[in-house]
Amino acid sequence: MGTFRYVLRDTNRLLFRHWGLSLLTLFTAVAVFFLVGSSALFMLNTRYLVARVESELLVQAYVKNEAQLQAVADKAQKIPGVASVRWVTTAEAMERLKARLKGHAQALTILGENPLPPSLEIRLVRAVLAPSVARELLAMPEVDDVIYAGGLADKLARVSRFATRFSMFVLVIAVTASALVLFNTIRISIYSRRDEIGVMLLVGATPTFVALPFVLQGMLLGMGGALGASLLIGGGYEALVRGVEATLPFVQLFRDPSMLLRLGLILLGGGITVGWISSWMAVERFIRRALRPM
Amino acid sequence: MDVRISGVTKLYEPDIRALEDVYLTVPKGEFLYLVGKTGSGKTTLLRLITREVMPTKGQIAVGEYNLRKMSAFDLALYRRDLGVIFQDFKLLPHLTAMENVAFVLDVIGVPPAEVKERTGEVLERVGMWRRRFLRPPQLSGGEQQRIAIARAIVNSPSLLVADEPTGNLDTHTAEEIMQLLLSINASGTTVFMATHNQFLVDAYRQRVVELHMGRVVRDEKRGRYELDGDF
Repeated sequence: MGTFRYVLRDTNRLLFRHWGLSLLTLFTAVAVFFLVGSSALFMLNTRYLVARVESELLVQAYVKNEAQLQAVADKAQKIPGVASVRWVTTAEAMERLKARLKGHAQALTILGENPLPPSLEIRLVRAVLAPSVARELLAMPEVDDVIYAGGLADKLARVSRFATRFSMFVLVIAVTASALVLFNTIRISIYSRRDEIGVMLLVGATPTFVALPFVLQGMLLGMGGALGASLLIGGGYEALVRGVEATLPFVQLFRDPSMLLRLGLILLGGGITVGWISSWMAVERFIRRALRPM
Repeated sequence: MDVRISGVTKLYEPDIRALEDVYLTVPKGEFLYLVGKTGSGKTTLLRLITREVMPTKGQIAVGEYNLRKMSAFDLALYRRDLGVIFQDFKLLPHLTAMENVAFVLDVIGVPPAEVKERTGEVLERVGMWRRRFLRPPQLSGGEQQRIAIARAIVNSPSLLVADEPTGNLDTHTAEEIMQLLLSINASGTTVFMATHNQFLVDAYRQRVVELHMGRVVRDEKRGRYELDGDF
């Protein structure tokens, strides 16, 4: 109990003894974790967009004869990567066209006989499978033509891969920067108390006991930075989503409160871990040197 | 704790021979003066005992501890049983006299109530209770020395190592400090005291070990100060 109280009192002393430095470290940590969180949100949004496009991506296979729809659908269902198959008769195709044209549907009467071909609407497990599924469909003699927006899906997949790599790059740079700032702050704290640490070690304090307040200081600064960044990201992103919804209703941003909460918790965990590791490295090195006999 | 030093040599870079082939056995409860000229190796010998310095050759054992081989945790345990009075006091200037003494108990996890009680007792013993709320810069040299002694004995060590504990003190204060060290010794603590104070060594006769150029040149029970190394 005495030890616990001492460690807490000492951590408090460390944080406020050089309050300017603590504040600077805290601001840096907030900025760094804000960067990490923002790049993670950028990655989540691009993935969300790609997933949406993938889920809506249809491969449309036009069949020569309506009587063959059932047979072609059965064969299409067996192609690897096909999630579902739905057939569209010529009559249904005409109904859809009329619905889309709304007030101008009367214009279709000039066509006379229904010229729209019967077709199959095929949904895929993954958008990247579209070209191979299309090739297999085209190989069927009953199929006249196949269309799909595969190019768009490919481009989005590339954007998603880039976003992931970019986020990882930002993560590595930001975490390294944050660790270095925390490491130096703890080193300055240690330096300012080197005499005290020397006496502590000479009177029988264990290395863990000496290290604990410094490690706790690093963890608190890391956690404070991550918490500040999480709150900023939470508030800022909510405002961004509302703004986009009001001005660009056709653009849908990623919005999943549980995922955002998870992101906040990950940032918090990351802040504590970075603070712990960097401060432990700084103090452990100093203690090892101080204990090494001449 | 008893101290056994066998064939210890200490070389500092590049080629300074601080101690050479030192053999010394100090039984538990003994009071020993370490005398010798400046640079004779007294402080190095004391720092070997506190394990701030490692011998280049030879063995050093204190009680159950082999100082050559010990983990960081064992070193902490060993140092808890060791009181050290530094030549330069090493008091922490931002702490009060009382906090400086309590600090030793705080950092080894002694409960607060016990810290208060033991700190009070030891401050009374060294005659510093009235001055307990002053910080080291507000205290005289003698008072700082008393606080350094209080800090060294507050954990009831088995071995007390004192490096010039009466240096820069007037004769009267030096005698008071000496009385204090003798009373600590009387309670069973082994005392190693490095000193240049001829008056004290001659007035309070104890075992005297003289070092000259890193070698033990004299080891006398109830010896006097005069330095053989001068001749």
